Formats: sequence, C-alpha cells, structure tokens
Amino acid sequence: MLDCEALTKTFDKTLFKNLDIHLGPGEILAVLGPSGCGKSTLLRCICGLESLDSGTIRMNEIDITNFEAEDRGIGLIFQRPVLYPHLSVSGNLSLASKSGHEEALEEVGLSGFEGRAVENLSGGEGQRVALARALLAEPDVLLLDEPFSALDSDLSVRLLKDVRQLLKKRKCPAILVTHNQQEAEMFSDRILEMSD
Amino acid sequence: MATHRPDLGNASGGSEMRNTNKNEKSPKIANMVIVILLLTIPLSGCVGDTENDRELVIVTYDVYALTDEVIEEFENETGISVTILKLNDAGSILDYLIQHQGREDVDLAIGMDNNFLGTAIEFDLLAESDVNQVGIRNDALGPYSGPLATPFDMGYVCLNYDTEQVDGENLTVPTSLWNLTEEEWRGKVALPSPVTSSPGRAFMLATLDYFDWEDGNDEFTSWWTAMKDNDVIITSGWSEAYETHYTGGYGEWTEGYIGDAHITVSYCHSPGVESWYNENWTKSASLDLPKTSFLQVEYAAAVNGGNIETASEFINYLISPEVNSLMPTENLMYSVLEGQDLPEENGYLLNSVIPQQPSQISMNDISENIELWLEEWNSAMTSGE
Amino acid sequence: MNDLRRLASAFAVMLYSMLILIPIGLATQRLILVTGPNPYDWTKSLSENYISQNVLEFTLVQAVSSTLLTIIISLPIAWYLGRHRWPFESLIRTVLTLPFVIPSIIAAMGILTIVGPYGLDIRTNENTWWWTLIISHAWFNMALIIRFCEPLLSKLDPALEEQLRLLPHGRTRASRFKNLWVPLLLPSVVAAACMTFVFSFTSFALVRWITVRDNTLESVMAEVSSSAGIQGYMEPTSDIVMGASLIQFTILLTSLWLTSVIQRDRKAILPQARPEHVRKPNSPGWLVIVPALIFAVLPLISVVIGSFRIRDLGESGAGFRWGTDGWNQAYHGSFSFAPMSEAILNSLGYAAITILVALPLGYALASTINDLEKRSPNLARLLDVFTMLPFALSAAMVGLGVLLGIIKLDVSSAYQFWALPSLAHIMLTTPFVVRIMLPAIRSLDNSYDENARVLGMGEFSRFIKIKIPLLKGSIIISSIFVIAMSLGEFGASFIVAKNSDWTTMPLLIDAWRAKPMKDPLSAPASNAVATVLMLITMGLFMFAERFRNNRDGGMF
Repeated sequence: MLDCEALTKTFDKTLFKNLDIHLGPGEILAVLGPSGCGKSTLLRCICGLESLDSGTIRMNEIDITNFEAEDRGIGLIFQRPVLYPHLSVSGNLSLASKSGHEEALEEVGLSGFEGRAVENLSGGEGQRVALARALLAEPDVLLLDEPFSALDSDLSVRLLKDVRQLLKKRKCPAILVTHNQQEAEMFSDRILEMSD
Repeated sequence: MATHRPDLGNASGGSEMRNTNKNEKSPKIANMVIVILLLTIPLSGCVGDTENDRELVIVTYDVYALTDEVIEEFENETGISVTILKLNDAGSILDYLIQHQGREDVDLAIGMDNNFLGTAIEFDLLAESDVNQVGIRNDALGPYSGPLATPFDMGYVCLNYDTEQVDGENLTVPTSLWNLTEEEWRGKVALPSPVTSSPGRAFMLATLDYFDWEDGNDEFTSWWTAMKDNDVIITSGWSEAYETHYTGGYGEWTEGYIGDAHITVSYCHSPGVESWYNENWTKSASLDLPKTSFLQVEYAAAVNGGNIETASEFINYLISPEVNSLMPTENLMYSVLEGQDLPEENGYLLNSVIPQQPSQISMNDISENIELWLEEWNSAMTSGE
Repeated sequence: MNDLRRLASAFAVMLYSMLILIPIGLATQRLILVTGPNPYDWTKSLSENYISQNVLEFTLVQAVSSTLLTIIISLPIAWYLGRHRWPFESLIRTVLTLPFVIPSIIAAMGILTIVGPYGLDIRTNENTWWWTLIISHAWFNMALIIRFCEPLLSKLDPALEEQLRLLPHGRTRASRFKNLWVPLLLPSVVAAACMTFVFSFTSFALVRWITVRDNTLESVMAEVSSSAGIQGYMEPTSDIVMGASLIQFTILLTSLWLTSVIQRDRKAILPQARPEHVRKPNSPGWLVIVPALIFAVLPLISVVIGSFRIRDLGESGAGFRWGTDGWNQAYHGSFSFAPMSEAILNSLGYAAITILVALPLGYALASTINDLEKRSPNLARLLDVFTMLPFALSAAMVGLGVLLGIIKLDVSSAYQFWALPSLAHIMLTTPFVVRIMLPAIRSLDNSYDENARVLGMGEFSRFIKIKIPLLKGSIIISSIFVIAMSLGEFGASFIVAKNSDWTTMPLLIDAWRAKPMKDPLSAPASNAVATVLMLITMGLFMFAERFRNNRDGGMF
C-alpha cells in the first residue's frame, strides 16, 4: 500500500502541488498527461531519485519520505530498457537476484534467453528483460516511465497486455506514466490526470 | 571534426563545405607556422658551417684549462677559429675518436691521459704534430715521449679523505686499502669508474700494483669485490664523486650535493687547491700510502686526418710558458714545464703532497693488458650476484 | 583505385620500410659482428657487466610501481572531473593533461629544482631518489588515465547508475562499484596502464637526472652508446646494447599487443548522454582537483623560477640571488655551449624536416591501409602492425640504429649530414601520424568523394579540395604532435647529435645542467632554455586542444 500526501515539487515552474496518490494492494494506476508536465519527475520523486519540496510518502504505514532510493524497495522501468552491456541477460537478472532466472524469463515470454548478449535484443525483448529483472527484485511498488512509447504500436500493445497480466498475477501494485490515453486505459485500473 | 551524412541530391553537400570555412582562420595560422618552419631549414643548415681555412676543432671533456679567455686569446693571436666539442670524460674522447675514425673534421684531442693514450695509439687515431717539446720536464715525458701526443699537465692521483669525519673517533685513517672494506667504511667510499674516468682508471692501475698483479695472485679482484660488498659508490666521472658525494671538498656549496662519502679519488694536490680557494684552510687531506697513488699525465694530441697545422699551433700555445705556467691556478694541475711549481699562496703548495712511493706500471704493460684488467675489474664488481 | 594512387601507396610503403629497416638492419648487423649472433649471450652479458647489472630488475620494478601509483593518483581525479560540473572545466582538463606533452628533460629540470638542496632538500639517499622518480612518472602519465577514463565518466547515461541503485545488488556504493564502475572502466584503465608502463619503462631523461646512479635499460643503452659496435674495443658495451634492445623490444611489443587487444574488446557501445545532464554541481571534489592542479603545474613553475635564481657564493655559499645572468649566459653561449638561438633554430629546423616527411608519409600509409581494408583485410592488418613497429622501439634504440647504421654506410659524408637527427625523429613520429589519421580517414564518408566524382572532379582536385579540408582537424593535430615531439625529443637525439656540434634545445638543457656544479650559472642557464622550450610546447598544445573532440578516446 502506497500513500503519498501533499506532494509538491517546483523546478522553474510548479510541476505538481499538494498532490495525493493512494495505491491499494495490487492496484495499477496510470498517470496521464502531456509531455513535459512533470510526470517523470513525479515518478523519480516517489522512488527517491529526486527530492520533493514537501509532502510525505508512506509505504505500508512506514514513512519513507527521507529514505534513500536504494532503501525504498521501489522499482523503476525506464523509457528505454536500461540493460548493462557488459553483462548477459542472466547477468543483468543477477543484479536483482542470483536465482529464479528461468522462471522470471518464462514469465515474460523469453524462455532460454539467459545467455544472450544484451546488444542483440530488440526493443521489446529488452523491456521484457528489464521487467523480469525488476520483478525478480520483488519491489513493493513498480513504477513505469513510459516504457512502451519507444516501441511500435503492435509490439507495445502486446507487451502492455502481458505486463498488466503479470503484475496482476503477482499482485504487484504499479504506477504507469504515459501521454497515451489508450495505453492508460488498457493498462490501468484508475487514471490520474496531470496537466501543465 | 564531425562529419554529417549529406543528403545526396540536394545542395547540402555544398553547405558542408561551407561549414569548414569557419575554421579557416586557424589552418591559415597553421600554414604560416609550417612555412616559417620550412624557412628555418636552410638557415639552420648554415649555422655551424663556416667555410674557413684556419679552423680548429677540439674534442675534449671539461678541462678547466680551456677557459673562454684562453681560447679567445689564441683566436686573436693566430686568427684561427676554434670550436669545442665537449664530451663527458676521457673515456668518451677515446670512444669518439674510434667511432669516427676516417672522419676528417676533428683536429685535436685534449684530455686523454697516459692510461687512455696507449689504446689511442694502438688504433692509429693520432697524427704526428709539429710541436716544440723542449722545456718539458722529464717526469712528464716519462710515460710517453713520442711525437703523437704532447703532455700539457700532470698530477698524482691518490685518495683524499675528510679530516673532520676521519678523526680517529668516527672513522680512522686507513693504513691499508683493506681497511676500506671494513664495516665502518660501508657506503662511505666514492670511486670513479676506471672504464670512463681517467683518475678512476689511474687509481685502479694503482691498486693493481698495490696488490702485486705481476705475481699472478687474485688479491686485486678480491679487494674490489670486497669493496663492492661494502657498498662502494662508483661514479662515472671524477666530478660526480668529488662534488656530489665527497664531504671533504667544495661539494656542499654546489647543487645536487649528497655528501655520503668521506674518502674519494682525487689528486695529491687537491687539498692544496681547496686550501687555495678557502684562504688557507682545508679539511681534505691526501692519503699517502705506498703504492696507492699513480702519476697521471694529460695529453694534447693531433688527430689523424685532421688539420695538423692548426692543431700543432694550439698545442704549442698550450705548453707555452704564458699559458702553461697557469696550469696550477687555471687548471688545478701541475705544469709540465721545467722550473715551475705550485704557488705558495694560501697554502696551495703546503697542502699538496708528492707521494713517496707511487705505483708504477709501464705504458707498454698498460697498453697490452688494459682490456683484460677492465674485464677483471668488471668481473670483480659483478661477482657473487 | 587508380594508378597514381597505387604508385603513391607503394612508394610510401617502400620509403617507410627503408627508413625503419635500413638503419636498424645495419646497426644490428654491425653489432652482431662484435657480439656474435646468440641472443642468449647478449642477455647474459647484461648481468655480467657492472654497468648493466640489475638494470632489468630496476627498470621493471620502477615501471610497475610508477604504473600503480599513476592509477592510484589519477582515478580519483578522473572520477571527480568527469562526474561533476566545474567552472573553467576545459582549462582544468588542459592543465591536468599538460604534463604529458611536456618534454621529459624539462620535467627533469623542474623536479630537480624542487627536490634539490635549495628546494625541499630531500635528495639525500636512494629511497628519496626512487620515490621522486616514481612520483615524476605519475606526474607525467596521469594525463593518460584522465584522457582514457574521464570521457567515459562524463558521458555515461545516468540511467545506468540510477537503475542500479534501485536493484538489490546495487544498493550499496561498493556493490555499484563492483557491478557498474569497475567493468565499465576496466578496459580503459588497463589500456592506459599499459601505455603508462611503456612510457615509464623507456624513461630516460628523468632516470638520468633524478636518480644518481641507477639505470634503466634505456638509459644504460644511451650511456654506453658511444663505445658500441667497435670490434676489439669495449666489446661488452655492444653486448649490453644488443641484450637491452632485445629485452626492451620484447616487453614493449607485448605491452602494445596487449593494449590493442583490449582496445578491440572495448567495442561495447555505452549509452551516452550529454555531459550537462550527467554532472552534479558542487562537490567536495575540490579537495582532489585543486591539489591535482597544483601538482601538475608545480614542476613547470619551478623551471621558470629556477632560471632566475642563482646560487650566491658570497657569504657562505648557502644563499641565492635573483637575476637574469642565467638567461644571459644561455643566450650568448660560450665556446663549448651553443647560444640558445642556435639551438632553437636547429630544433625548429629538425622539426620542419620531420614534419615534411612524417606527415605525408603517415597520411599515405594510413590511406593505403584504409584502401586495403576493403580489398584484402589481412594485408591491411599486416601493414597496420608494420607501421606500429617503431612503437616497440624506444628512442634510444632508434638513436642507436641511426648512429651505428648510418655510420656504417659512410663515416665522413653521412655523419656530416646535419639533418641526421631528423631521421630518428621521423622514425619515432610517423607511427603517431598513422594512428591519428587512420580513424579519421576511415570515418570519411564515401559519399563526399562519390558526389565529387559525379560532378566531374579529378582525383587530384578531389584530394586537395575535399579530402584535405575534411581531414583538417586530424592533419593539424598530427602536425602539432609531430612538431612537439620533435622539439622535445631527447633520447635519440642524445645519442645521435650529442657527439657533434649540432645541438637541439633538449640537448642544450642537458648540457648546461651537466656542467660541473661549481658554476652557479649552469642550472639557471639550463632552466632558461627549458623555459623557452616549455612555452613553445605549451603554446602548441593549447592550439591543438581546440581541434580535439572530447571523444571516448585513446591518447589522441
């Protein structure tokens, strides 16, 4: 359960002010808004990569507002799959957990990809690996920063559906950030709209 | 520089070209620099090349006698233009003459001594010069009196020690060379290498006689090995040993002074020189042990293939009374002329010692055996590793 | 490829082969006549000669230690420089990488002034010389680590680090270090370390001046060079030269091969971002950067100061005064010292000849390699390696090759050839030109050339009007590099030119300093010439920096 209250951040202009976000167990929220309105920054503040001006974040009743990103137990999927080129797929998965790779890859439909080199993966495959890795880390909440926007539409729809299914199966609460209305509707249970 | 993909078929190829014009100024400067450099080639080639009938090229090392004044006066008197090729030490002179045998533009070699001369003669590097050797003392002509080389200074090479350090308490005055292999002298003896340095070589020859090489024993090699084991400091030249390491001399007033040796190889008259510079005071003294000193005579020799005429004129100049009588004060060595001695002022003469019993090895013996002896010295210094 | 180009390529390759093989071949032949052909004998004699005993050990130990110290000092500098935003950033970077281009003889003079009796006065025993030498090598080579690693750090996409922070095995700094930074930086660090090792291994000027009696393989070769190659005279020195050359060549070749292997494996394309997004502002890194800047500049300043400071033997000889007598002395020279202007003119002349040959030759070779790469890649590879060969020859070896080889040809006329040192400089710099131009030529877009052909331009005009302008940056960088290297070259010139009356600036610096120390003007005069050379080199370097991209680069 994620409870954010009165989140405020200003950077040149006010990005968001007194924003409340509540995520129930297993709930998927989409934050919808045009580019540049601060959605990414919101995610980065929640997971701790950037700091808030004011507000509190509680995870399962614990106040994590002042925790370092490393300690919050929140995962993040970036827009482009952030895979480490000096490690294979399995090596990347090991950064989350040393075991369970087979199952994790099976879950995202990439069975047998353990030994593959990262640079040979397509965009969709890369995001699947990133997702597998993020889930292996067993985060309390998973944040997704427009992970489907870099893919072409057929691919993204398929991936989107698979990801939603997986998250639901694992009862992992998630927040998706996107500028695409359709994506938001297909992926989430609830939509929060942000504007400039 | 970034290269962009041009869009073939429109004019952007041209616009890329135009972009390079932005940097045009800098290449223009670069062009100028290159042009200037090119101009220096003919200029530099000219420098150092003067067509002059009366020329003299001297190859030497840092012989103090050849001061700017001495050279200038010679040039003024004779109209000969002098160039000096300065090398590291006496050994380098020999190296140079051998390497460049057949080359014709070195005329005079100054600074080889009686220990290097034999090899030079053997390799046929020298030419007979037209020099008037009348008035030169007999002992200067002792090692060599032929026409291929003329002595211009001399001195006795021997050990010098620092009387302040070697005072009977910290260190005792050696009574035998074997004392120097003892623990108290560890790392405190500085000797120039016999391979490259003429005083160094003279000292090594002295030790050969000291240890009776003729009897065929190996005391010579044992002693040198013991010295090596006792951390003896071997330098490539006299000045490094005397200035950088020796504490008894003027070294502490020079840059680069380390001051770790209290005994070194120099001349028996070096304490006299110190005294003369220091207004009648010196802490350096010569060690006059029998057979530990060696007569060194330094030569000026015309080089085979060079300009014998101008070379001879310079040699005559060097042994003329006006110039040669100044050897003790300008060059810090004895004059080779009869009737000359060290000056008395400031204790120069007083503090200089003529050794009682210097070592004696004939030039013939040296000539024949020097390579062998250097090899033995080398083995002694490298044994036991 | 049309015939003219084929001809030019063939000519270039032939000329280059001759330049390298003839002097080295002749020298080797001459030395073998004295030493015999058994390599075992040569190397054995290294340990059997007093002059060369322990030389190999000393060289290896100091090279390894220097490399380690360089890495230890430079990595923090590269880290803070790359990861944070700095005011005057490009100036800071220039200053920190400046030591690398300063001629080693100048560095030696500066460092000597600092540690000598009128500086810190610590030059008293073997330990201090050794540590001073190691630190000097680190001073020199820190630019390598910085050049190799800093671009990587400054341009890396921050997402890589951020993502890792959010994963279980990236929660601590140590784990991020292990999982991200070390794998990323390791190839660059190793490559830079190899080059540092090579430079420290072949160090000459610093060893000569900072240690008192120690020798490296390089310096021992230089010291005995004048008596090598003569039958029946000082034959052990020929053994020393052959033995030292063989060992040095082998070690250098191995290091270079290692570096190229590592460079090949660095092909992983790392996600990059613009530095402004990467860097965080304000950091305690000032504690690292400021001392580093002072460290970089200190020897240079001391050279300048040293040229005005004259030992005063007045009262007790322990003081000093300030004056321009040293400059005066250096300017006018004397019978045994060339005036400064002559040395400058000579140095510039040699540099001019060197660049006139090395630049076109290097370009032609690079171009040939590039052309061959499409048609017969193996031949291209071979030529590539062949052009790199002089890298495995140290300056002293080249100098000896020229000295012994050319003398063998014809003593009198060959040795009177004033431009002889240029031959050594050409041998040493042409590989660098190839190294710089080859990537540039490779990245030339063929469409430019094709477009021009379609427009009717002939081969030669295309060359002049299209190729050259496009390659301008690399050409200028190579030129400046060649000029700077030639002006500052010491090792080979020491051997070739020292025994003649043609002097260069580095040799004049060395000669003045080598004058017995009684003369209080010898050190200031030496520092005066060193200051002039230093200013010229710095000027060239700053000029070249404008053309340099801050690529994830090698040395250039």
